[in-house]
Amino acid sequence: MTEPAEPLPLEPLPLEGLKVLDISSFIAAPVAAVVLADYGADVIKIEPPDGDPHRQNWKNAGYPRSNVNFPWQLDGRLKRSLALDLKNAEARGVLEKLIARADVMIVNFPPPARERLRLRWEDIEPINPRLVYCSLTGYGETGPDRDRPGFDITAYFGRSGILDAGRYEGAPPAISLPGQGDRATAMTLVAAILLGLRRRDQTGKGGWVGTSLYANGAWANGTTMAGAAIGAKLPPRQPPDKPRNALTNLYRTRDDRWLQLLVVRDDRLWVTLCTAIDRPELATDPRFTDREERKARAIELHGVLAPVFASRTYAEWESALAKTGIPFGVIGRVADVVDDEQAVHAGIFADTTNPEVPRTVNNPIRLGFAKPRVSGPPAAVGQHNDEILRELGHSDAEIAALKKAGVMG
Amino acid sequence: MTEPALPLAGLRVLDISSFIAAPAAAVVLGDWGADVIKVEGPEGDPNRRIMHDSANYPTADVNYPWEMDSRNKRSLALDLKKPEARAALDRLIATADIVICNFPPLVRDRLRLAYDDLKAVNPRLIYASLTGYGEEGPDRDRPGFDATAYFARSGLLDAQRYEGGPPGVPGPAQGDRATAMALVSSILMALIHRMKSGEGSWVGTSLLGNGLWSCGVIAQAALVGAFLAPRPPPDRPRSALGNIYRTSDDRWLQLTIVREDKMWAPLARAVGHPELIDDPRFAMVDERRRNSAALATVLREAFAGRNYVHWLAALSKAEITFGVISRPQDVPDDHQAVACGAIVETAIPDMPRTLSNPIRLGFAEQRIAHPAPALGQHNEEILREAGLSASEIAALRASGAMT
Repeated sequence: MTEPAEPLPLEPLPLEGLKVLDISSFIAAPVAAVVLADYGADVIKIEPPDGDPHRQNWKNAGYPRSNVNFPWQLDGRLKRSLALDLKNAEARGVLEKLIARADVMIVNFPPPARERLRLRWEDIEPINPRLVYCSLTGYGETGPDRDRPGFDITAYFGRSGILDAGRYEGAPPAISLPGQGDRATAMTLVAAILLGLRRRDQTGKGGWVGTSLYANGAWANGTTMAGAAIGAKLPPRQPPDKPRNALTNLYRTRDDRWLQLLVVRDDRLWVTLCTAIDRPELATDPRFTDREERKARAIELHGVLAPVFASRTYAEWESALAKTGIPFGVIGRVADVVDDEQAVHAGIFADTTNPEVPRTVNNPIRLGFAKPRVSGPPAAVGQHNDEILRELGHSDAEIAALKKAGVMG
Repeated sequence: MTEPALPLAGLRVLDISSFIAAPAAAVVLGDWGADVIKVEGPEGDPNRRIMHDSANYPTADVNYPWEMDSRNKRSLALDLKKPEARAALDRLIATADIVICNFPPLVRDRLRLAYDDLKAVNPRLIYASLTGYGEEGPDRDRPGFDATAYFARSGLLDAQRYEGGPPGVPGPAQGDRATAMALVSSILMALIHRMKSGEGSWVGTSLLGNGLWSCGVIAQAALVGAFLAPRPPPDRPRSALGNIYRTSDDRWLQLTIVREDKMWAPLARAVGHPELIDDPRFAMVDERRRNSAALATVLREAFAGRNYVHWLAALSKAEITFGVISRPQDVPDDHQAVACGAIVETAIPDMPRTLSNPIRLGFAEQRIAHPAPALGQHNEEILREAGLSASEIAALRASGAMT
């Protein structure tokens, strides 16, 4: 929602008072912690002394080039950082104190690492039975591949069949973008955590909750997958010049944009479309009178429509189609989206107080009673070490001793 | 209807929405114990027919998309344009905890189904709204589908294309289903808020917002003026050892060789070209990068000579790292898909397996899927539960507001 006309509601954020430990790395799991922080939770990121490796991802060849660490703003915002060497035996005391007072803990170590670090739910439950313990895996908590490290390109996109399903007939597999499946998966983790909190409110008990990248990819690909599970015939995707349905297809406009026509209800909208594109005679063309004929002659119909769409710019089509009820869109360019007025109205971007990265992407949840928090610069590794240890009741001398023991790296 | 052990048992959800993203959120709530009533028009949710209407859906004798998106729901068919139906709906809204709605704002106003209308009936109600493009702004009333709002408008499809090629193509409902999880999260936040404050609220999300969230890395990059270079097609890759290759049976292998120094010789042998090891064009990483198109040609021809099963065995034996690009038809029989809980059994005789939602809880199991309802199958039962008398129900029928 955009800024409401009435004054902002002054209710506390829904997750205010909630203490979250983000003991995870890279994207999907830390992003779930971001969303909780956006809505008021106090998130402590526990990092190894050299930091979450995601702090370095902005230099990755697959990422857009920039001289600021833009992904870290997105995935590290609103967290405090505690650098703790979990392999150091003396770190355990600090960690257990943090766990004892936490409401939610998020991990994404594969099961063997969790076991080695004594961070499985059964290790943690005795310390805090009211904790909601959330784990993210690549491929699930059991099964032959449970210990395999999973990234979204392999587990969410490759393994789930999305890349194969998203290719044009005869063409190579589809492409996914950095973190694309991770960020969608994060919303499932958030839902899982909130279900855990609801159950805790009802019963007083904590518990394990979680999800996997693989299950989320399969869920996103669920329509195709549900069909595959009963042996449905899977259609290959025809390239835009050989569509199976010319009314749900891509058309290139005069200014080399791609217009996406999506007339699913052509039983109702065929005549409207013919009028809107100034080809009213098509409405009575015997080749295209009903749905079945339009589908059977899809390539022929494409041959009629392609030059029509190629004759005007996208902006001209935009105004010709806008009020007709015909579903269509443009293949947006990210460069345009950041200045898209509608994106502002939809609450998609937010200003930050970090001069290096002045705007960021909001999480997609909108609440009538609360706004997501504004973010400042993300924390440096271990920036809040002293502050957090003092909150745990450590004296200055104790903190110094921990540092000397190498617990903080 | 519900089992008390499930975290959402006792909640009543009215799913007054159509197609996929919003109804899928209701499915997830139902999976975890909520009593979900689907309120449909006299013609039914058009998603009942989408398998036949859309050329991009896998075809089958079983209406699997409808079964999946309506499992464990009851159906009430009402003509909401008739005032009698609207009055009956208010009786139901008074007993509900959550309403899920995906009418564009204009239609909501016309049907008196905006949040303010429903809040007057039930102030504890959580009203969850799904739009294509948000609740305000020039495109708020535009119908949004996941292909247009989530994928196209967000810049995802443009970014997902090979240099010079057409835009990427999303799978059916791919963005809808991801968006459903954001809608579920927003509803759960509202339940927490209601528990604390006693008050209902409006919550929602948009397909556009979710599309941009999922491509957040490149959107955040664009916000600082950084853009992704187009991906070169596989015949002229940046690196021939980090590229995809087609096998003789039209499968694809994703080579992801990071330790080139160690793996170059084993790879050359595995693809049947040991002479490449001493070929000066490909001697070191720099040469291989500089001559990546030539190397890709050699590898492309080699991989095209044998089938997928051969390459899986040959590459695994040589310990060469590669990614599996599964075909959708491989996934239901993948042990790991069952192990991670993605593929589950149903109580639906002609659709014995389906996709569970991706949330896993240690303390509860999702309900097993029962057949989706026929249109209006539970009219009487639901209205009686809402307190309508037999004569009131008969009058509703007589008015034509319900069949």
